[in-house]
Amino acid sequence: MAGLSLSGVRVEFPGLAAPVLDIAALAVARGEDVAVTGPSGSGKTTLINVMTGLEKPAAGSVRWDDTDLVRLGESQRDAWRAGHVGLVMQEFHLFPGLSAIENVLLPVRFRLFSVPAATRERALALLKRVGLSRPDQDIATMSRGEMQRVAVARALLGRPAVLIADEPTASLDAASGAVVADLLIELAREENATLIAVTHDPRLSGRLGRRLSLVAGRIAEDVAQGEGAAPSSATPYTPPAASQGQVTP
Amino acid sequence: MIPVRFIAADLRRLWAGSLVIVLLIGLATALGIAVGIQERALRLGSARAADRFDLVVGAAGAETQLVLSSVFLQAAPLTLLPGSVLKDLAEDPRVDWAAPVGFGDSFNDLPIVGTTGEFLTDKGRRPLAEGEAFQKPTDAVVGALVDLRLGDTVKPVHGLPGEAGHTHDELAYTVTGRLAATGTPWDRAILVPIETVWSIHGLDGHTADAHDHDHDHGHDHAHEDHDHDHDHDGVQDHAAEDHLGPPWAAGIPGVPAVIVKPKSIANAYQLRQQYRTDTTLGVFPAEVLTRLYATLGDARVILTAIAIGTQALVGAAVVLVCVVHLSQRRRQIGALRALGAPRLSIFGVVWVELLLLIGLGVLLGLGLGLLGAKVAASFFTQQSGIALPVSLEWSDVGFAGMLMLVAAVIALVPAWLAYRQPAAAALRG
Repeated sequence: MAGLSLSGVRVEFPGLAAPVLDIAALAVARGEDVAVTGPSGSGKTTLINVMTGLEKPAAGSVRWDDTDLVRLGESQRDAWRAGHVGLVMQEFHLFPGLSAIENVLLPVRFRLFSVPAATRERALALLKRVGLSRPDQDIATMSRGEMQRVAVARALLGRPAVLIADEPTASLDAASGAVVADLLIELAREENATLIAVTHDPRLSGRLGRRLSLVAGRIAEDVAQGEGAAPSSATPYTPPAASQGQVTP
Repeated sequence: MIPVRFIAADLRRLWAGSLVIVLLIGLATALGIAVGIQERALRLGSARAADRFDLVVGAAGAETQLVLSSVFLQAAPLTLLPGSVLKDLAEDPRVDWAAPVGFGDSFNDLPIVGTTGEFLTDKGRRPLAEGEAFQKPTDAVVGALVDLRLGDTVKPVHGLPGEAGHTHDELAYTVTGRLAATGTPWDRAILVPIETVWSIHGLDGHTADAHDHDHDHGHDHAHEDHDHDHDHDGVQDHAAEDHLGPPWAAGIPGVPAVIVKPKSIANAYQLRQQYRTDTTLGVFPAEVLTRLYATLGDARVILTAIAIGTQALVGAAVVLVCVVHLSQRRRQIGALRALGAPRLSIFGVVWVELLLLIGLGVLLGLGLGLLGAKVAASFFTQQSGIALPVSLEWSDVGFAGMLMLVAAVIALVPAWLAYRQPAAAALRG
């Protein structure tokens, strides 16, 4: 399967002379796990916004398998994202007043009149899997680490093909960050989902198979790492044969 | 889909702000509702109060004053009508009964009104609630709400309610009957034989010449001038030997007004026409009220305009609060979109939340408006004696519904703004 393929993507913001994102070509194969790193303002969040259809680039194409997100309308992109992407954000974006289980089920409630029993069962199982034993606990009474674990469970509820995390450990203490990093990697593998994580956290980025470094909106480095690859040495990246993607360093 | 739990949690979380919005909308709605209810109640109440008074004849002057004084017992100076007018009316074949009303005294701030037994019972058609009508000149029949019991004694004080005056020590009435409740100022009046009122004020036809009254009992109520010398040494004895009510003897004293019950509508119009002369004035109280209602209607238009202006201001404030609130929720909306919530659902969430607050506010306003009108009506009734039938009508519900409809349309603005927010930009905050 082709996975993700970006081609000639440019994102410009009004008032800024240079594009905030300028990717000639990028391919991510299905099932890959990729860390996106780079200094603040390098375009990391914009890149994942483009990948998830939250941001429509001024030029280029963003293809997930046979679907070019650029050609879809906003509502279609919303629907596509709901069906294919699990999102974990730095600030969790859980909703106070709702319990852990209700937060996990919230995206489904926006799309279905009533939640199927199987979905509810899966939500409970996911909460248990991320180590939360009280699904009815109010979010307001949880620690930040617990909140992020709820967010991970929420992201995985719809069995997404791709799990995208934007600085998932940045606002957590070291212990909680390590737990969340472990969970993301393990669950993405268990669910056979592509994992793309924007992170400054070496405990997370170092454990992913590929690292993209962005500088000023461009890919400055794209290296394979992990088992067999020395974390400190940048290895020129060769995309999996299936993707046939062109990678621009 | 619009997740109900999410909306409920959202409103619970923002309860303080939500409460303020509901209260604002409630108060603005209540103002409009109360104006409508109160105005309608005033019309109904005054119309019912005037129901028994087909035709009123008084001395030439202001129609409204004549009706206010004779029907609504509002203290005001009235020029006396010659007694012959009362006699003529009572003997007119077109008249069922004609009863004088004479004022001038009070008891515990309740007006004492001189009249006849025919007026009390509508010539036997309306029985008293208890006791009996005048048998003796010192008998008194009290209105339904007067706090006196049968057998109680009433010592009249010269002067209208609220005015200082001397006590008529020469006479005491005894309560012998109580009128059924009418929801009119007459419920708070003490009715006594007109002959006794004439007599106590030295206007008795039989005795007027014998007494030297240096004060004006012409009921223009120059009561400040209390230098008169009552010499009613034989009021009770004298009155007891007279019969009460019609037929009237020639030379009876004047009265401020005569309440006339014509035998037919045609007769009523003829009599009204006949008594519209240079010296007398015949009026249909209903006709005068209609003119008053027109004025009341004008006042209602102004009050309604003020109420609508207030509602518009509150509406604008609510929209402003919503737009500010929306800008504070940009990231939340962005996150919902990022999680895959459809734009239409976001629109729905914002719109339904607002609609719920507006709906609660309007419902609260209906209740508060009714309550406010009831409170205002009870004060009015206490002051005037006119019972105001305060009730919520379909027109009030329709008004509230119209408010809801307008508010629902206005609430589309913040909902549309939420719908239009680009997800990525919203997430950036």
